Formats: sequence, C-alpha cells, structure tokens
Amino acid sequence: MPCPGLAFLNALLFFLLSFNHSHADDVLAQITTRLAKTEITQGNFQQEKRLKILRKPLISSGAFTYHQSKGVIWKTLTPVFSILLVNESRLLTSQGEQAVPAALGKVFNSILGGNLNRLTEDFSITGFDQKPSWQLQLKPKDELLKKIITTILLTGDNELRLVEMQEADGNITRINFGQITHPEQLTTEQEADFERLSP
Amino acid sequence: MNVYHPKVTAWIWLLGMIVISVLGAQVLTRDWLETGFLALLPASEQKPEIAKAIQQQSELINREMIWLTGAATSRQAIAQAQQLKLQLKQSKLFNKVLLQFPQQQYIKQYQKLFPYRYQLLDAQTRITLNNNPSDLIKQTREVLYSPLGQMQAANLERDPLLLFSRYFSAQDPLKLNLEQGMVILHDVNKFWALLLTDLEDSNLPLDKLEILLNLVNGATAHVQGSGGELMVSGMPLFTAYGAHSAKQEISTVGIGSSAGIILLLLATFRSPRPLLLSTLAIGSGMFAALVLSILFFTKIHILTLVFGASLIGVADDYAQHLLCDSLGEKNWNPRRGLHFILPGLTVGLISNLLSYAGLGFSPFPGLQQVAVFSAMGLLVAWLTVVLLFPLLLKGFVFNHEPGLLKLTGYWEQKWPAWAFKNKRWLSLVLLVFIAGGCWRLIPQDDVRLLQSAPAELTRTANKIRQLLSLSRDSQFFLVSGTDQKDWHRNEQQLLNSLEALKQQQALQYYEGISHYWPNADRQQENYRLLKQTLYDSALLKQYMNGLGFGKEAVKTELKQFAGSAHKELSLPEWLKTADESKQQLWLGCQSGHCQSIVALNGIKNLPALAALHSLPGVVWVDQVEKLSSLFKRYRIRASALLVSAFSVVWLGLGLKFGWGRALGILSVPLISLAVALSMLGWFGQLFSLFNLFALLLVLGIGVDYAMFFFMAGDRRTSTSLAVTVSALTTLLAFGLLSVSSTEIVHAFGFTVAIGIVTALMCAPLMSRLKAE
Repeated sequence: MPCPGLAFLNALLFFLLSFNHSHADDVLAQITTRLAKTEITQGNFQQEKRLKILRKPLISSGAFTYHQSKGVIWKTLTPVFSILLVNESRLLTSQGEQAVPAALGKVFNSILGGNLNRLTEDFSITGFDQKPSWQLQLKPKDELLKKIITTILLTGDNELRLVEMQEADGNITRINFGQITHPEQLTTEQEADFERLSP
Repeated sequence: MNVYHPKVTAWIWLLGMIVISVLGAQVLTRDWLETGFLALLPASEQKPEIAKAIQQQSELINREMIWLTGAATSRQAIAQAQQLKLQLKQSKLFNKVLLQFPQQQYIKQYQKLFPYRYQLLDAQTRITLNNNPSDLIKQTREVLYSPLGQMQAANLERDPLLLFSRYFSAQDPLKLNLEQGMVILHDVNKFWALLLTDLEDSNLPLDKLEILLNLVNGATAHVQGSGGELMVSGMPLFTAYGAHSAKQEISTVGIGSSAGIILLLLATFRSPRPLLLSTLAIGSGMFAALVLSILFFTKIHILTLVFGASLIGVADDYAQHLLCDSLGEKNWNPRRGLHFILPGLTVGLISNLLSYAGLGFSPFPGLQQVAVFSAMGLLVAWLTVVLLFPLLLKGFVFNHEPGLLKLTGYWEQKWPAWAFKNKRWLSLVLLVFIAGGCWRLIPQDDVRLLQSAPAELTRTANKIRQLLSLSRDSQFFLVSGTDQKDWHRNEQQLLNSLEALKQQQALQYYEGISHYWPNADRQQENYRLLKQTLYDSALLKQYMNGLGFGKEAVKTELKQFAGSAHKELSLPEWLKTADESKQQLWLGCQSGHCQSIVALNGIKNLPALAALHSLPGVVWVDQVEKLSSLFKRYRIRASALLVSAFSVVWLGLGLKFGWGRALGILSVPLISLAVALSMLGWFGQLFSLFNLFALLLVLGIGVDYAMFFFMAGDRRTSTSLAVTVSALTTLLAFGLLSVSSTEIVHAFGFTVAIGIVTALMCAPLMSRLKAE
C-alpha cells in the first residue's frame, strides 16, 4: 500500500537536498524509486558481529517485521532468543524499557522502510547505482554517534539486502536480509507485539 | 477631653512622623520585599531536622526551571533550543543553562567508579545473581547478539560480563533519548528538546522577576514565530506571575480607592481642605504602617501590600467622622466636634484593632503581616485625626446640604420605618436566605489556594510532567539511623518496599542514595556474591570461552577480580562523582545521627506511600498535606476565636448598655456575618480559614457602625452621613480586593464587602433600638 504523504515528502526532500548534496541526491532518488515501498515489510536476517577482542564472530539469526507507522519487531531466534521492539520514541527489550540511542529508532525505521531520504538528516550520504544493485555509504553527522559508528554501508537491489556497520574501535557488524515479503496484513502475533510498544 | 492644646498635640504628631521618616529612610533603602510563595507559609511546626530537609528540597525547587522547545522534527526542536539557550544565557538570570548533556562529567564519573565495579552492583543484578546466576549470562548474551549493544560491546574488553554497564545505566533511572547530546522527548505529534536552568538566586527581587516574565513571553513569541512551541515551567515562573498580578492588584485597589475617596469627598464637602486632610491621614497611616511593619518583620510579602492597599478605604473613616460631625452645626469648632465623637472614634479604633489582632493570632506570616500593617496604619491614621486635625480644622464650616444627604436621609429614616413595619416576613426571608446559603458552604483547606497562577501555566506544568517526570514531588521520606550502617539498613528496607509499590504503579520512581551506593558491608557482600556465583564457579570461564575470548583475556579478568577483593568506595568519594540532585539527598551525619532524603516522582497512590512511615527510622514528609491540615485546624480555631470575640464584645457592651441592648447592637455584625457566609454559599465562593479572618473584620466594622448610630442621639443626620461616606470608601477598597487573581485575597475581599453592605443596611435600625 503506497503512502500518500510520501510523494510530497520526497519532493520536499529532493528540493532541500538539491542545495546540499549535489551527487547523492540523484542516486538516492533512483534508489528510492526502485525500493518497494509498502506498509509492511518482513523477512529473516542473519547478523554477524566481529569484535576485536573475540576470536570468532558473534553470529545470530532471526526474523524482523517493519510496519510503516508502528515500528520494528526484531526477533533474535538463535543462539539466544530475544525480542526488540522499537519505534521513534520507545525501545523495549526483554530486559525492559530502554533509552533509544542516538537516532537509532529513526535509522532502523528508515532503513527497513526504504525511506532513505530521511537519513539525510543525520548522515552525509554518498553512493552509486549500478543496476541491478546499488550501494550507499552513510557517515553520521552527530558528534556523539560519530564516536561509535564511523560508516554504515547499505547494499540492495529492489530490496535492502545488506547492512554493514563499521564502528570507531574497529568492530564490524554485518546484517544480511533474506526472504523479504510484503504482506497486506500483520499476523495476530505481530499485532500483539506492536501493541506493547504503543504508550 | 479636658485638656485641649491643639498646638501641643500637633507638635507631638509632627515629632512622631519625623521619627518614622528617619526610620523609613533606613529600612526602605534595603531589600524589604518578598515575593516567593513559600514565604507565605508558616515556619514548619516540624522537628528541626525535618525542617532542614524541607528547606533543602525547596531551595532546589525555588530555582529550577524547565524549558521544552517543540517542533515537528527533532532537528527543528534542537535548533530552537540552541537559539533559546543563547537568549537565556544573555539574560544573566541563570547560573546554569543546560542543553547539552554533560558528557565530560559522565565520562569522569564512569572512570572514577569503574575500579569499584566488583563492589558496585545494582539491585536487579543482585536479585538475578541470587536467584539464578546463569540468567545474568543469558542477559549479557542477549545484549551482545542484539543489533543494539554497540556501546556495550565496546566495553567488553574491560568488562566481559558488562557488570559495570548494568550498574552505570541503573544510576540513571530516567531512560532519556539523546540526540546530538540533547534530551529529546516525543509525544503524539511533536519532538521536544529539553533545556534545564537554575536561577542565580532563589529569591529574585521584583524587577528581575519582571525580566524573567518578559523573557518567557518573548521567547514563547519567538519560538512560535518560527513555527514551534515553547513550554516553560518551574516555581520561579509561578512566583513571577504571582508578583506580577499582585503588583497590578495593588495599583487597581490603590488607584480605585483613592479615586473613589476623592470623588466622594469633593462631592460631599465641596472644598479642598477635607480632601487634603484625609489624604494626610491616610498617607501618614500607610507610610507609618509600611515602615513599622518592615521594622517588625524585616521583610514583607507583596501580598501584604495588596491587603494594605485596601487600608486606604478603612483609614479614611476617622477623618470622615470628624469632618461630617460639623454638618449643619452653627457654632461648630474642632474642640466640640472631637469632644463629641471621640468616644465613638475610640471604640471604633479598638474594635478594629482587636479584629486585626485576631489575624495576627494565626501562624501564617502573611496574615501576621497584614495584621501588623493594618493595625499600625489605623492607629496612625487615628492619631493624625485626634492630634493634628483640631489645629488644621480651625474655622472649618460645613453648612451646605450635600447631595448624598438625601440618600442617607432616606436610608436612615424611611428604611428603618419600613423595615420595622414588615419585620415579620423580612426576617423570614432573611432566615431562609441565610439557612440556604450556609447549607451550601463547603470548607476548603488546600494550601495551594495561596498561590495564584494562570490556568494556562498550570496546564503547561501538567503537560510537562506527563512528558517527563523530572521534577520531584513535594512529598518525600526522611530516613535516619544512629550511624551509617543503621541508616543504610533503614533506607534499604524503605527502598525495597518502594520497589514493590512501584511495581503496583503507586509511583513512577524513587531515588535514594543507597540505591546507588552500597555501604562497606554491602560492597563486600557484592564481591562475595560475584565470587561465589560467577568467578569461583565455572560460569565465567564457560561464558568467556564460549563467546570466543582468548585464554589471556580470561586470565586477566580473573586476576583483576582477585586483585580487587579489598577495594572499598566510601560515601564521600561516591558523592563526589554524583550530580547535584543526588548529592542533595544526603543530609550528613551529626552527633550520632545520619540522615538522607528519599525523593519520589509521579506519585499516584499517596496513602500507600504514607503508610511506609511505620518502617524503622522512616519519616513521611508531606508538607502540602501538613499545611492543608494546618489550615483546617486553624479554620476551626478561628471559628472559636470568632465566637469568643463576639462574647467579649457582648460582655463589654452589656456592662455599659445592658445585656438586651448589647445584644441588639451585636445583631448588626451578627446578621452581616451570617449574610456574608450565606452569600459565599450561594455564589459557590471559596470558604476557608481566610474567610473567617475576614469575618473578624466584619465584626469590628459592624460593631463600629452600630455603635455610631446607637450613640448618635440627636445628631443622626451627621452620623449617617459619616457612616455612609466611610462605608462607601471601605466597600470600594474591599470590593476591589475581590478582583484579585489570588483565590484567598479574592475570597477575603468578597466576604468583607458583603459584610459591610449588610452592616450598612442594618445599622440605622439601631436608632430605633434605643428608642424602644
């Protein structure tokens, strides 16, 4: 289901971007049009964290659900089950309510929702589009965020396929997405999870 | 008066006024005006240590202000907050303007506390370790495998179990979202950036309060102009609004009363002399009242001046009586006039002074000030009339018929005649009216009535509180113990009970020092707990090996743990790392007595919290409730005072005029009082302690009027003129008080105004009383 407000928002952002980012805006526009924009996106993920202190990567996998207005459910299934619910103002984990770290909710929602334009607020973006695949490089503008993340790489085609986060201390987190679908409706389980997020 | 020396008495008056002026020149040049709401409240009846704790809490509250800039995006909200910050800094009103989260302080705190990580465990971690240590490992793995945990993963090298991360994040019970180092809140359709300020001084002078008010209004307009919204709250703002409206009310009441008096006097006497003399009497009275009150109290509250402005209308009475006495008397001279009215004037002064003395009987500094101010003002006005007027009134002639006389003539002759003819049904109607009104009276004893705030300000404050409960509630616990160990145990017990109540949603959160700082025993206990559950068992090694740590890393961690066995973090050391609001929770140890405050936020179930006072060493402090119940107690006492005042007056009058007649005179204030009460009921006005003090004044004024008529004899015309003129000016003064936006001032004015109208209606009936 396309969002009626999105077209306006895109137009506005492109207008604003044309002053700031002479290179990125075309690429971003091309990519945004290619990405499937629906209310609901769901799929599986495999996450690999490489920490310098550890000899082997931390590998986990699970399923995610994105809902345009409700937020994101991030369910880690292996090796330890955990659930993470996030929207722009709240973050719930199995260990309770947490502060949403700088711009994280926004990044999560924007990346998974294919709403890449919104990322220009917090990141300077460069990239290329070589059909069938594209890649964007995001560098945080926020001084605090810079101290933690140096670069985020996004790779995809008509869906987002890979997110790679390079951290300031050399750690790397890589998340692969698979089996992405766009169902019309949420399952009752997903509905219940989102219900916990609403204040 | 047998000895009559107008010149001598005038000299005495002049001498007195010179003394007062010299004193005035000294006291009025220093800072003598108080504006804060808390200054109106009685000094705590509590024990000194509780009073100290309250003082400490309110010191903070009196300076704190919260600013939130709102916009559609967080970026806009931040931009607006940054601009606002500059504006606030330029104003130089604040000694702290905090927008960016103090990151450096945070890092320092982290570094200082990190060496004690094996001694510092948060409550949740302790519970987990005690119940099932492997849960802690599971939770740590959850964090590490989740897409969050970036920050924590970075600490993994130094703190493999993320123990210190757990403790450190538990130090900050409010989970606030940061963006560019600023706190961002989010409601349904807006992002809000948070700015915190501390005023330089908890007791700002009047001009600075005006600057603050202008700053808030200017900033609000500015933010709105750029499409945003600004919400501001804090005690200083309430004070500023209170002072602002009080200032306006002083001028409304002052100018209104003065204008009324000028018009009345000019219309009645058609000559400038009475006007100038009245002005002199009122002016000296007010000036002396101000100087003597400041001498007495060192500082007086702005609300006292609002009441004081109403004194213009009362202080005028004595002059009116003397001036009106000359009406139509061919051979009138001040000597004869004074001789005739002095008894009535003196009784009037005494009854007024007595009623104001009743106000001074209350424990409220505000009312005590009003009592001293009014009593001094009246006394000096009376002295001016008695000592100075005889000289200045020489040759005064008053032999025209003022227009007012027609009205007073009708009111003094026709109205009593008509009233007596119809007394049956009139009394019935009156009785029903009074009974109906009194039946509808509902007493209110809320201390917050003393505060006047525009509804919008209160709404904003509530909205901010919903967004984030940053400001502590006024209720708190005081925890004490014979030594640090005893105190720690008591506070821990309280915090455990509070945790249970928090789970039941009785409050949002609580804050006590022992929540963050474990004492020496507890630190050892924490270390032992970690040793038993994780370090000595195979759990730590298993976890570290499983996660992929190298052998060296495991060894280093075990070595560090073993080397930290005897570390101890003392309370003073911990306090140094804490922020100001946490530091203020600790009240220190003195002569075998350690004390702390446990602060509360977002209380929803007050009785459940209050019930915890039964725990050892715990005192529940609810200043609002305490004061409200004080209001109630004094409302009952004031009722008793009113009854005894009536009895005393009856006794005095009875001895002189006989019991029956005394009762007749008293019926004037009695009916006035009943009508005033019932009008409060009919109009749904506030009925509190303060109305009863107003009724004391009604008693004084009512006796006054009744006495003048009762003693008027053949001079009824001049008496009724005098009473009417003075009643009209008094009425104007108190009527104007009822425009006040402070509830109690309004209620006070309303009560007295109704009382005076009724007394004015009833007083002429007295002349019949004597005849019958």
